[in-house]
Amino acid sequence: MAYFKDADEVYSFIGKLFQDLAEDEELAPRFRKANTVVQYAYRDPDSVITVQLKEGEDGRVDFGDTDMDPEVVMSMDADTAHRFWLGKVNVTVALARGQMKAKGPVAKILKLVPLVKPVFPKYRAMLEEAGRQDLIEAS
Amino acid sequence: MSDVGEALGARHMAGFKDFFQYASSTRVVAGRDLLSGTGFEMGKEGSHRVWVVTDKVIRETGLVDRVEAGVADGGLEVAGVFDDVPQDSSTDVVDRCAAEAREAGADSFLAVGGGSVLDTAKIADTVFSQGGNAAEKEGFFLMDREDDGMGAPLPIAPLGGIPTTAGTGSEVSMGAIVKDPERKVKLEIADFPLFPRLAILDPEATRTLPPKIAAATGMDALTHAIESYVALEWNPFQESRSLGALRLIRENLRRAVEDGPSDEEARGNMLVAASMAIAIELGSAHAMSHPCGAQFAVPHGVANAINLPHVIRFNAEAGDDVADRYRDVCEALGVESGGSAATVGDNLASHVTGLVEGLGLPTRLSQVGVPEDGIPALVEGAMGDGLSLMNPREPSEEDYERLYHAAL
Repeated sequence: MAYFKDADEVYSFIGKLFQDLAEDEELAPRFRKANTVVQYAYRDPDSVITVQLKEGEDGRVDFGDTDMDPEVVMSMDADTAHRFWLGKVNVTVALARGQMKAKGPVAKILKLVPLVKPVFPKYRAMLEEAGRQDLIEAS
Repeated sequence: MSDVGEALGARHMAGFKDFFQYASSTRVVAGRDLLSGTGFEMGKEGSHRVWVVTDKVIRETGLVDRVEAGVADGGLEVAGVFDDVPQDSSTDVVDRCAAEAREAGADSFLAVGGGSVLDTAKIADTVFSQGGNAAEKEGFFLMDREDDGMGAPLPIAPLGGIPTTAGTGSEVSMGAIVKDPERKVKLEIADFPLFPRLAILDPEATRTLPPKIAAATGMDALTHAIESYVALEWNPFQESRSLGALRLIRENLRRAVEDGPSDEEARGNMLVAASMAIAIELGSAHAMSHPCGAQFAVPHGVANAINLPHVIRFNAEAGDDVADRYRDVCEALGVESGGSAATVGDNLASHVTGLVEGLGLPTRLSQVGVPEDGIPALVEGAMGDGLSLMNPREPSEEDYERLYHAAL
């Protein structure tokens, strides 16, 4: 059974994490160096988060339909995304197993991977604050 | 191992891993006088009308004529020869190669050449078999699949390779790289159908290889063997191949460079070594070398030869677990393997530099046209290379900056 019951729940947690990151004074400028638009296309439940990471522009995060034109599309189960943000997914292994699929100039995203380490505890704290220990334990 | 931090590839350098994946589906035939049997071997792969992919330099050596005769001798037809592959191939060349193969009524591909030719043929075969164009094929494990993209990958037409350099290993790998001139990036594709069905390793195919190219490509093979052995995504199958390749390189690389035309055994063993060494699990030497090639046209093997010693020293200081893997490499190469982690790294790095010098290759990036003010762009390229994620020591921008300066 999937961790999240519907797309709204995905947006409430993973989507909220992206929104918080877009406003993070320390991390946001580093992520914007990627200078791209990334779309995360999740399955089970189907949900889409599109993130603008452009130097010199404010961060932007859209849920569902968007008028942004993604350069890179990352596809995966929402469960995999959840486990990733808890620090429990090795990206290279996930790509090799096909658990994550990346379309487009993947290098732009791969160079962000080392930057995400400080985000893992933020995601865990967000779940704990929301009383969703079940999501942490289920993974 | 499921602690926080696994996303960054927490180190697990020995024992039974939580996960690894290994595939190697290419049938390898190696030996003497195999070119005349090319058709006989391609026929076993279901080939009838062969599209030969090569470059003009190789064609002028007469090698392609002998391969064509070998195809005919096996009762197969040569549908045509595409000899327009440049040294650093690109998506437009791939698309043209696929279109001409279709027009010629080919049903299979045979690459006769080095890495650029082999990679062109692989991607052209994909475009030929599955439609679309080269640029659309970019990505890892993204080729067309059954069951809405989650099932078995769709096959491509039979593909064979006759390598004319001993280094790239593309003749037995599932990876391919060509330039995308529109986006000015190297387009990387890796998926299981790209494993050629057949590799013919005949030292006759490398007899006319110039010593400098034999040296550079040989260093590429050495770098594959060492980096795959210490990569975070190492696995026991590749481990055996890497150590076997290192032993062959130790015994044969100098001979193949210095006495290439007359030393058939050394050339043959280097072909085998290169095919054993290739892996898609590599590390920071390759991550540093890719942008050197993309931005300053440094030949890939030369860039690896220059960058590898610096990466070895950097990695060896990561801890005893990494240093211990370098000790194995030292033993395979006949280098002193004792002492501290820093010592083993320094010994191995010095050995590699000595080898590079002995082969007559440059040892500094500044000798091959890389300017100091080019380093920031190189750092950005290395940070964005997926192989950085497999390096046993996580490199930061500052680390890459220091490494490039050291290599300059």
